[in-house]
Amino acid sequence: MQQIRVYEPHKQLKQGINIWREMFGELFDFRELIWRLFARDLSAKYKQSFLGNSWCLFMPFVAIGTFMYLNHAGILHIRQTPMPYPLYALIGLSIWQIFATGLNSGANSLVGAGDLVTKINFPREVLVIASMAQSVFEFLIKFVLILVFFFIFKYVPSWKIVFFPFVLLPLVFLTIGLSLILSLLNGVMRDIGNMVSLLLMFLMFLTPVLYPLPSQHFLLLKLNFLSPLINAPRELMTDGSIHQPLYYGVASVISLLLFLMAWRIFHLAETKIPERI
Amino acid sequence: MWYGCLDILQSSFGVLADSTSLRPDEFWAIEGAHFELKRGESIGIIGPNGSGKTTLLKMLNGIFMPDRGRIEVHGKMGALIQVGAGFHPMLSGRENIYINGAILGMTTKEIDEKFDSIVDFADIGDFLESPVKFYSSGMYVRLGFAIAVHCRPDILLIDEVLAVGDLKFQTKCLKFITHNVLKNGCTIVFVSHSRYAIEDVCQKAIYFNKGRMIKIGKTTDVLGKYLQDIKDEENTLGKKLSDGFDAEGITRLVFLDKEGQIKNQFKSGDEVKIRFYYSFKAMVRNPSVGITFVHNDPRYSVVSSSDYIFNLHSGYDHFNVESLQGQGYFEVSIDCLYIPVGIYTCLIYLFNENFMNLVRKYENAASLEVLWRDDRPQRSLIDLPHRWTRSEEAGA
Repeated sequence: MQQIRVYEPHKQLKQGINIWREMFGELFDFRELIWRLFARDLSAKYKQSFLGNSWCLFMPFVAIGTFMYLNHAGILHIRQTPMPYPLYALIGLSIWQIFATGLNSGANSLVGAGDLVTKINFPREVLVIASMAQSVFEFLIKFVLILVFFFIFKYVPSWKIVFFPFVLLPLVFLTIGLSLILSLLNGVMRDIGNMVSLLLMFLMFLTPVLYPLPSQHFLLLKLNFLSPLINAPRELMTDGSIHQPLYYGVASVISLLLFLMAWRIFHLAETKIPERI
Repeated sequence: MWYGCLDILQSSFGVLADSTSLRPDEFWAIEGAHFELKRGESIGIIGPNGSGKTTLLKMLNGIFMPDRGRIEVHGKMGALIQVGAGFHPMLSGRENIYINGAILGMTTKEIDEKFDSIVDFADIGDFLESPVKFYSSGMYVRLGFAIAVHCRPDILLIDEVLAVGDLKFQTKCLKFITHNVLKNGCTIVFVSHSRYAIEDVCQKAIYFNKGRMIKIGKTTDVLGKYLQDIKDEENTLGKKLSDGFDAEGITRLVFLDKEGQIKNQFKSGDEVKIRFYYSFKAMVRNPSVGITFVHNDPRYSVVSSSDYIFNLHSGYDHFNVESLQGQGYFEVSIDCLYIPVGIYTCLIYLFNENFMNLVRKYENAASLEVLWRDDRPQRSLIDLPHRWTRSEEAGA
């Protein structure tokens, strides 16, 4: 059966609901490419590098160490955490990094791919997803470290830890969604890439990654819907229950909707990217 | 940048932008292009740089969407546009074959099957296992090309990739394209600056200039129009002759054909007479004249113009004249003008005292065009007299 393709201006807009089938179909066809790009970036990191992939373990130590010291010196006042602080911070940081590195590398994925975007025809979502896969892989490495910490601090995690991957999903989808939009915009306005790195730095402080949320109502902290996405997996791992299920539920729904919307927009606008990047 | 943002926003939200008119500072990269290509046909695209050839290929490949009009593609598309896309410098040639293959749409199984053939075509030897950053540029191109060529698409777009690589590689690629690819009924769209490659591969051709299709038709016709346009632009032949001559010395130079008609276009192998008209007020001793043919034609790539193609000098030929005064002409007869095809600028010299003393040198005072013979296609720049025979005797 022969493939027939038609290129017309505004073709995408005439398709309506069928566009979803096309989007899913495309990604399925190119699933091997996603794997190859991911494997490529992974092996490239190993070559000619002493630390290689274990580099991602370095950053948590520095961050946690600094915060503990500041707390000890009285500069920062971190409330009591339900488990030993290093463990709390490590889990929080690892989960946060899925979002942060995912967003950072995702936003720059189209620009960084160079000739791939302007000269070859393939669904560009593949690039964003491959960089997200990289971020998830780094999390898996940190997860091993978390298990080691559980052992060191003699803290037994709840059995519900098996549900942990599912609880992480909204965060992953949110990251992919935002990456898709940001990579698109970064293609035309290069400052976006830099802005994202900068904003992420400060966003980390506004999210309960390295500290627990205060019980009073601080509006900005409350509106940050990243908090439940980070807290919930952490609580599930340690306690076995999600403390604010409604909050988490709303945040998950928002994340999923954002992802679907972002994917749709990306697919529609994809054709304009090679012209401008 | 702002147009980019606007375009993206409009596309995302389904707003039908008016893409049929130009905004300020925009121009039509391609306008009014219109053609049909059937399975198994091959078409060449020629034209000066910046005429829209690569843009057309990108539109056929589905990278750029047309703002006006419609493109319909039946079958799987493959492109030899960017050689080595997705190559990571740190990874070995072997690993990069899989990556590049996946980007071009091949499955792992396909690549496994074709792996040996790819390596064989690329001819990089032991370097297969070393990181690609250590490859020479030629090896890089060979590997990229080898992968792309094994894609087996229904339609193949080739964009000037044959310009890189050494001669051995270029011949190999061209041979592969004409033998394997065309034989399999693959359709080819070929952009190249090498007119010989296009003549070999394509039956039809399109001449593009400034985004418009100037001519479409048989390859030889379209190539002819393209070369004609280049010649007209440069207008070397049309430059005013006798501009450089004086009233004293050599006053005029003409070329005559064998019937005595003044012409400045001759066919290769024609009989040509060159006449140097002179006017000497005072007596000149041992005068001699000379003419040098300098190849000056943008359509052909010949030796640099500091090397002269052909030179005549009455003194070297021992055509001695004791002394001269008044007016008259020197004439030299060339039986057969077997020099390379093209437009020549002539340098004309006047010596005296037995060519010891250069009296005058006239530059850009005359030009001549040599054309190829009518009865066969032009395959080279020079023709030579020759004769064929055959015998049934066994060789030594």
